[in-house]
Amino acid sequence: MSGFGGGGGGGGRSFGGGKDRGKPGAGRGGAAGAKDGGKRYFFRRRKVCKFCADKIDYVDYKDVKLLSGFVPERGKILPRRMFGTCAEHQRKVTLAIKRARAIALLPFASE
Amino acid sequence: MSQDRVYEVLFVADPNLGEPEVDALTTLVQGYIEKEGGRIQKVEKWGKKRLAYLVGKHREGSYVLMTVEGGVALVKEVERRIRVTDGIIRFITVRVDEELRKAERRRARRAVVESKRKVRPRPPVEDVEEVEL
Repeated sequence: MSGFGGGGGGGGRSFGGGKDRGKPGAGRGGAAGAKDGGKRYFFRRRKVCKFCADKIDYVDYKDVKLLSGFVPERGKILPRRMFGTCAEHQRKVTLAIKRARAIALLPFASE
Repeated sequence: MSQDRVYEVLFVADPNLGEPEVDALTTLVQGYIEKEGGRIQKVEKWGKKRLAYLVGKHREGSYVLMTVEGGVALVKEVERRIRVTDGIIRFITVRVDEELRKAERRRARRAVVESKRKVRPRPPVEDVEEVEL
C-alpha cells in the first residue's frame, strides 16, 4: 500500500496548481508552454479517453494485453494525465489492474 | 432466482503439475462448487503462463478460469476449501454480474442515442438543398 501512497503524492506534486485539476490535458500543455516561454509542445496527447472512443464498457482484469498498456516496467499504474482516460474509466482500469496483480497477471511496483 | 450472482473463480495451479493433474484439480474445485449448489457456466483453461512476480518460488503457473452462478454462502465455502487445497498457489473470486449488467445497459443506451443522432440531422440538410436548387 505504501507504494500507492508514494505514487499518488508524487503525481500531486508535479501537477502544480489546483486550477489545472479540472482539465488535465489542457492544463498541462499550458504549464509546459509557460515554462519554456513559448509555444513548445512535447507531444500531442490523445485527449479523448481510449475506453470511451473504443466503447469498452467493462474493463476486464483478465485482459493483460489491454491493462499492460497502463502499467510501465516499474509496475506503477500510469496517472490519468498520461493517457487522457476519463475519471470513470481510470477508476475501472485501476480496479482491474489491482485484481490482475492479485493473481500475478501484472506486477506490483517492483525493483 | 434473483438472489444468485455470477462469479468468476480464477485459480493458479502449481506449474509442476502435469496436464491430467490440473484437470483433476479443476474437477475437484468444480465438485466444491456443485456441492454448495453452484452452477458452473464455463470452464476455461489458459494453460501455463508466466507469473508477473514470484509466488512461493514459482515463476509460472497454470491458470484455470471458471464462471459460476451461485449465492453468497457459496463463495465463502469454496474459497475456504480452495485455501486448503494443495497445488493451488493463487486464486481470486470476482463478482461479475453487476458490472456486466451495467456494461450491457450502457451499450443499449448508446445504441438508442446513436440511432436518434442519425435520424435527426438529416431533414434540415435536405431542406437546405431543396431551397438552393
